[in-house]
Amino acid sequence: MTEGVVLEGRGLVKRFGRTVALDGVDLAVRGGEAVAIMGPSGSGKSTLLHCLAGIMRPDAGEVTLLGRRVDGMRERERSALRRSRFGFVFQFGQLLPELPAEENVALPLMLGGVPRARAVQQARTWFGPLGLGGMEGQRPGELSGGQAQRVAIARALVTGPSVVFADEPTGALDQATGHDTMHTLVTAAAHNGASLVVVTHDPQVARWCHRVVEVRDGRLLPGHTPSPEFSGGGAR
Amino acid sequence: MSAAVTIAWRLLRGGGRRGLIGAGLTLAAVAVSTAFLMFTVAVNVAFEHRADREAWRNPVPADAARAVAVQGVRRDFFQGRMITVAEVAALRPGVAPPPGAARFPAPGEAWLSPALAALVRETPPDRLGGRFPNVAGTLAGETLVHPGELVAVLGRAPDDPALAPGRGGDGVAPTPVADFTGRHGADAVAYQSLALVAGVLMVVPLLVFSGAAARLTVARRDQRLAALRLVGATPGQVVGMTVVEAILLALAGAVAGVAGYLAMTPLLARITVAGGTWFVADLWPGVLITFGVLLAVPLLVGASAVLGLRRVVVSPLGVARRETPPGMRVLRVVAFLAVVGAFPVLGRGNAGVVVVAVALALPFLAVNLVGPWVVALIGRVMAGTARRPAWLLAGRRLVDDPRSAWRTVGGVALTGFVAGFVGLLSPSAGLLGDAPADRLRLGVPAAQAATVQAGAERRLRAAGVPARVTVTGTGDRRLVEVTPEPAATPGSTGGSPREGSPEVLERARTALDGLVPGRGASTPAEDDLPGMLLLGDIRTGTVVVLAVSLLVATTSAGITAASSVLDRRQTYALLRLAGTPLSVLDRARRSETLVPLVVMGGGSVATGMFCALPFVYAGLNVTGVLALGVCVVGGFAGVVGAGALSSPLLRSVTANPGPRPD
Ligand SMILES: Nc1ncnc2c1ncn2[C@@H]1O[C@H](COP(=O)(O)OP(=O)(O)OP(=O)(O)O)[C@@H](O)[C@H]1O
Ligand SMILES: [Mg+2]
Repeated sequence: MTEGVVLEGRGLVKRFGRTVALDGVDLAVRGGEAVAIMGPSGSGKSTLLHCLAGIMRPDAGEVTLLGRRVDGMRERERSALRRSRFGFVFQFGQLLPELPAEENVALPLMLGGVPRARAVQQARTWFGPLGLGGMEGQRPGELSGGQAQRVAIARALVTGPSVVFADEPTGALDQATGHDTMHTLVTAAAHNGASLVVVTHDPQVARWCHRVVEVRDGRLLPGHTPSPEFSGGGAR
Repeated sequence: MSAAVTIAWRLLRGGGRRGLIGAGLTLAAVAVSTAFLMFTVAVNVAFEHRADREAWRNPVPADAARAVAVQGVRRDFFQGRMITVAEVAALRPGVAPPPGAARFPAPGEAWLSPALAALVRETPPDRLGGRFPNVAGTLAGETLVHPGELVAVLGRAPDDPALAPGRGGDGVAPTPVADFTGRHGADAVAYQSLALVAGVLMVVPLLVFSGAAARLTVARRDQRLAALRLVGATPGQVVGMTVVEAILLALAGAVAGVAGYLAMTPLLARITVAGGTWFVADLWPGVLITFGVLLAVPLLVGASAVLGLRRVVVSPLGVARRETPPGMRVLRVVAFLAVVGAFPVLGRGNAGVVVVAVALALPFLAVNLVGPWVVALIGRVMAGTARRPAWLLAGRRLVDDPRSAWRTVGGVALTGFVAGFVGLLSPSAGLLGDAPADRLRLGVPAAQAATVQAGAERRLRAAGVPARVTVTGTGDRRLVEVTPEPAATPGSTGGSPREGSPEVLERARTALDGLVPGRGASTPAEDDLPGMLLLGDIRTGTVVVLAVSLLVATTSAGITAASSVLDRRQTYALLRLAGTPLSVLDRARRSETLVPLVVMGGGSVATGMFCALPFVYAGLNVTGVLALGVCVVGGFAGVVGAGALSSPLLRSVTANPGPRPD
């Protein structure tokens, strides 16, 4: 029945002291699917993303990637998993300022053991399609905000991940550039067969995603979990 | 201004826990460097104090009309320790007494320093007390070089043969004086010069360190300040805020440093130099100097902060966008080579000590000048050849910010310069050979040799000391040599000291006291004692300078390592979120320190050795090379350790999954 489901969180609960950031969330992401997470500030979007991505351990519930339990793994394994199976795009500040753009993109490959020359060569192939032609040698400080986010997108996708997580990837950009960047992200992920989980405040972004889920006070709003096998599970 | 203070205070308070860690690091750095700065200055002042107290023993000759007293100074010994004996005679009544004595010693009277008085009390009179039969009082501390110094002031009649003009021998020949002020002696000046050189060697790293501490404040703030600039704060306001913050922090640090130094003085006073420890008061450099330090350190830190801020102020985007840093100029290398090349020329000949000290500071600054340039070069090579991510990250980081990398390793590299310099310079103990200590000698004019020999035999017999008395030497000066002989009576009771032992030697010496007026008997080893002391002190100084430099360097390495983690916490945290193993980040951090350390440390040691070459008289010595080795190993371990200390910080800083802009 879980055919097509790549990543799945069930009954996720996360507390910070007395704050209940996640209060029993179920979410399944299918292969190649783009899911937008929306909701007011402080509702638990980032926490949900962190739990799904193996950055945080939920206090209760489970996360599985292609049927493998993620939440029980040790930090070292989760770290390896994030490196090899996931890609990340954050709001800003994720590129190493002293590395040229192409080396920033090549870094995940090198961490995975690809020799430097091949990693850089492979990284370069991403620049043209993402509209970054000629910027391979620029350093992040010399790029515009939108260009830097495209480099980050290339870096997230270069290892061929199963899922790309993006937490407000356009939050620091003006609206036009933001839409542009988000479009690039969605299409590039789809083109590479990667699922996408993106946290956003921009309702427009939903247009490019297959599905929008809404978080309120640590719960998914009912009616927003279309996967039949989990229907009704969002508001326990 | 008061608005700036308020905002600065808010920024400091509002910086959160990490902001406080950063502020604490700055404060600690300033405190440490202030404490060492106080020490460096105080050491020079302390030698000045010693020289002042000792000055009266180097009398300034007065012409006959103005002379009120005659003064001669000689050396005596007791079991290898030196006793300074000043013999004084008043030429008229009512002459002011020599320093430390309550009144002018009457002929035959002896005034002893507390340590000598105690020694006389504890020792059987036939070994020591017999030399001072009529002890009249105790000398006050104001006349002593160090608390344990053995000094005797003996009163004489003006016509005493001991004060006869032209008596030869060691010490100061009898001199007519108008008062007991005197001037600094040659030994004291030598010590002051050495202290000055040591001071220069320590001050430069300290200044570099203080500057680094200031930059640390700025680095912590530059992001926020650039943001303020973007919001529209005027350059004056931005500078004002940062400088006020830096100065306030530095002032607090400087006060803590002075307090720390003062708390340490009782310990520091125990360091033995020139045969004795220190009066704690000697290590107090005075209110004026202390205030000077308290003023200078915050000003220096403030000035450094202004320099560090220049880029933010010039362009609001300067820091926010992290432009390519300006290339390091080849000019630096040229300046470095010029200075190093000029050094042997400057150092040769009998240049004054100050010139030498300045000349010494120059290559030191030159190493500092060329450091960042070479670091950038190393980075380019590393980045170009890197195959593994850690190596690549390290190389790129060195190219990006060679100055900050240099700040981490520069201190140790400069210590390498010191070590290379003194490693070659410090003379070995074997330089003076190993003179015998089992016989006493008395130098006399050839004409008196026979009389003195007979007199010695008579006195020794009377004192019951079995000894052989011979005369050696040729020309118009002879040595009457007294060798105590092994026991003639093997059955002597256990209570009496064994023949040939130090006790017997002292009995012989005491018996011979006054045989030749104004001159005591000494062993060849004792004759070498002042030279040996100086050599030992140079070694002590070397160890102190190296220890201080090493401590400063390691502390600064630790602080810069920690602050570089704090500066880059967001990027590090996001890299870790994306699955970059911490071990890769740690390895990169290690390489970005170790590689320049190896290259620059080695280069500095070589530069130091090269600069020391013109001063080397006696060839290499084991102690120096050993100190060098210890320094190299210690510096290495220190920097690696300091870097390792910030690993937990890296862990905790990157553990927070929601990286906030702060
Ligand atoms: N590390 C943390 N420590 C303590 N509380 C936290 C932590 N991270 C999140 N929280 C709390 O958990 C709740 C959810 O936070 P989360 O960051 O997931 O919100 P969000 O939906 O991403 O908000 P935003 O849209 O503003 O980014 C909030 O109340 C927040 O204060
Ligand atoms: Mg969030």
